[in-house]
Amino acid sequence: MTSESSEVKKVTLKSCDEVEFKVEIPVASRSILLKNMIEDVGETDQSIPLPNVNEKVLKKVLEWCQHHVNDPQPTNDDDDSRRRNTEIDDWDQRFLNVEQDMLFEIILAANYLDIKPLLDIGCKTVANMIKGKSPEEIRNTFNIVNDFTPEEEEQIRKENEWAEDR
Amino acid sequence: MSSEKPLPEQVIKQTLPSQASQNSVAKAATIPSELILQIFKYVTSTADLKSCILVCKSWCRCGVELLWHKPVLNVRESLIKLLVTLSRSTQTFPYALLIRRLNFTFLIEHVSDDTLKRLSSCERLERLTLGGCRRLTDNGLLKLLDKADGLVALDVSDIENLTDAVVELVGERCRRLQGLNVSLCKKVSDKGILAVASKCRSLRRIKLSSCDIITDQSVVILAKNCPHLLELDLTNCDQITNKAIQPVFENCTQLRELRLACCTKLTDESFTKTMPSLYEQLRILDLTSCALITDQTLLKIAHSAPKLRNLVLAKCGNITDEGVYHITRLGKHLHYLHLGHCSRITDHSITHLARHCTRLRYLDLACCTQLTDASVFELSHLPKLRRIGLVKCALITDQAIYALIENRVVQHTLERVHLSYCVNLTVPAVLELVNSCFRLTHLSLTGVPAFLRPEVQRFCRQAPKEFTPHQRQVFCVFSGKGVKDLKQYLNNTVITQQRNRITNGVGNINDQVVGPVAAVNAEIEESVVSEAEGVGGDISEGGEGENENGHNQDDNRSRNRVSDRNPEGEDGDVGNALLDF
Repeated sequence: MTSESSEVKKVTLKSCDEVEFKVEIPVASRSILLKNMIEDVGETDQSIPLPNVNEKVLKKVLEWCQHHVNDPQPTNDDDDSRRRNTEIDDWDQRFLNVEQDMLFEIILAANYLDIKPLLDIGCKTVANMIKGKSPEEIRNTFNIVNDFTPEEEEQIRKENEWAEDR
Repeated sequence: MSSEKPLPEQVIKQTLPSQASQNSVAKAATIPSELILQIFKYVTSTADLKSCILVCKSWCRCGVELLWHKPVLNVRESLIKLLVTLSRSTQTFPYALLIRRLNFTFLIEHVSDDTLKRLSSCERLERLTLGGCRRLTDNGLLKLLDKADGLVALDVSDIENLTDAVVELVGERCRRLQGLNVSLCKKVSDKGILAVASKCRSLRRIKLSSCDIITDQSVVILAKNCPHLLELDLTNCDQITNKAIQPVFENCTQLRELRLACCTKLTDESFTKTMPSLYEQLRILDLTSCALITDQTLLKIAHSAPKLRNLVLAKCGNITDEGVYHITRLGKHLHYLHLGHCSRITDHSITHLARHCTRLRYLDLACCTQLTDASVFELSHLPKLRRIGLVKCALITDQAIYALIENRVVQHTLERVHLSYCVNLTVPAVLELVNSCFRLTHLSLTGVPAFLRPEVQRFCRQAPKEFTPHQRQVFCVFSGKGVKDLKQYLNNTVITQQRNRITNGVGNINDQVVGPVAAVNAEIEESVVSEAEGVGGDISEGGEGENENGHNQDDNRSRNRVSDRNPEGEDGDVGNALLDF
């Protein structure tokens, strides 16, 4: 296995700020977008431009892909079980222990590059940050401006009063 | 996903996903709504989701559909507040149209015709669960269902007032219906079922359990018109004859689940003559109390449906060992087998079964009165056995219980064990079972004399209301915490008994108090004392005052002691000790 790994074919990715990454194809193929591109284009020396991802984020995402290179590909019928499970494994938790802006950048990149498992754990992480908070606490956490008028907010609060956990 | 009706302008205004993140704008505010939705799908608590929709307009628009898609209604107050919102003249969102699923399982006593009338603006309902809402009548149901064109699944089981009028309306309106449960709606007749069967061609699941006035006519037209049927439940439809079953086998080539319990008129002919030579997709077959069927049916089933997973043959009194031999053809596919009251079967076929159907998870052999320990010896090798039912297998002895444990296979899997009326069982054997099977959550010992004592029965579940005084007296079923309590009590009793005996060994005066213990074999007495000395040493090491530590050590020690000894020693020793106490 190790002797082979030195011969694994590589592909060059270029971030939006023009930084090139030479990446082993199995690692890049964690991204379904890249996997399909590589399959379509075949072998090429040309770099693949990624206009939506900057160097810092791409580096981070590729770190995740490298660590999870041998994971089984997710299937569609996993959808429900993934949703029920809000746990995130230790490595991933540490990996996502980043500044909030970076967390959202990773989510956006995972969505663009079509890396479902990474998107999932990113979304779960944000969902966990929401747990148990009041609307005002959520706004403060994510620095979101309240654009409701007081009347609008009050009406929506009333209309949704039924939704309590008991 | 988004609703087709336009939403009010001010809320619809969407935050645009920004290309380059602006320096002062928080990243969270730039996330496109599709990803906010993705995040909200992991916000599993209703209260948290409610907080989310109050954060800002774009979050509101994303969250409100999720929140209303399947309103969680666990208490009456929630339902009332929801109805109030729906009756408001101005609403921020067309809430009624956001509701796709309604489930009243937790509010069955509170749902009235009036509730359903107030919900009649929910025109986009897809799944509606009203099972057991017995206060309902046709009035409310007709009103709610009149506009439910998109309904996919409807459960109106156990609504005794419901008549054909509702079922006919469902046929008329809900052309996309895939699942219908009218079990226990005893007024539903062929007339209603014909309406549904002729209009709802994509029906996949239909439950008609205890709709006992329906006849072959209903089943025949269902089979002919609904070729996609996956599940058909005719339990207690005792007018059904062989004539109904033939078209089912002919037309419903995708059927996975067929329940014919108590269709007492069915004979072998239903299967031997009409079941196709290959009916491979069938997974679940319930023939409880189809008392006329014989081993011939089992021969046919085992060949035609080789991947059958669940087979219920309870009270099929004609079944013999030969039939069980046929079933063993199913091999590893068979997970669930009920042979209760098939009293002709013997150890021979059960041995064969245990050796071939090695993935059995659930096995009920209640009232198979010829079975002996030999059967249980074989079954104790089943690596996935979770539930074993041996009620009234009165020949079973402690040896069977020890076999279950000794093979060290089922002790990791067993969750439910039914031993009621296995009158020969003793406390030590059952204690060892409870100590060994750490997943055990249910243990029934009704009518086992060794357990009919108040100090043990206090841990058992309440007897069902309909039981007679005598039935209550012998009732002895432990579940959940009860199993743990029983285990703790029995273990402690053994320990206390040991201690008494130690004290006894020191001062002879106490002999008379402990009484029968004195009769215990001297050898055993000696070993107990020497072990107790060991315990004493341990305690002094850890500090004498720490009672709890001492207890725990005793606990482990007694368990080891029990499992190390052979069963014969057990009976004489711990058994007596327990009875004395």
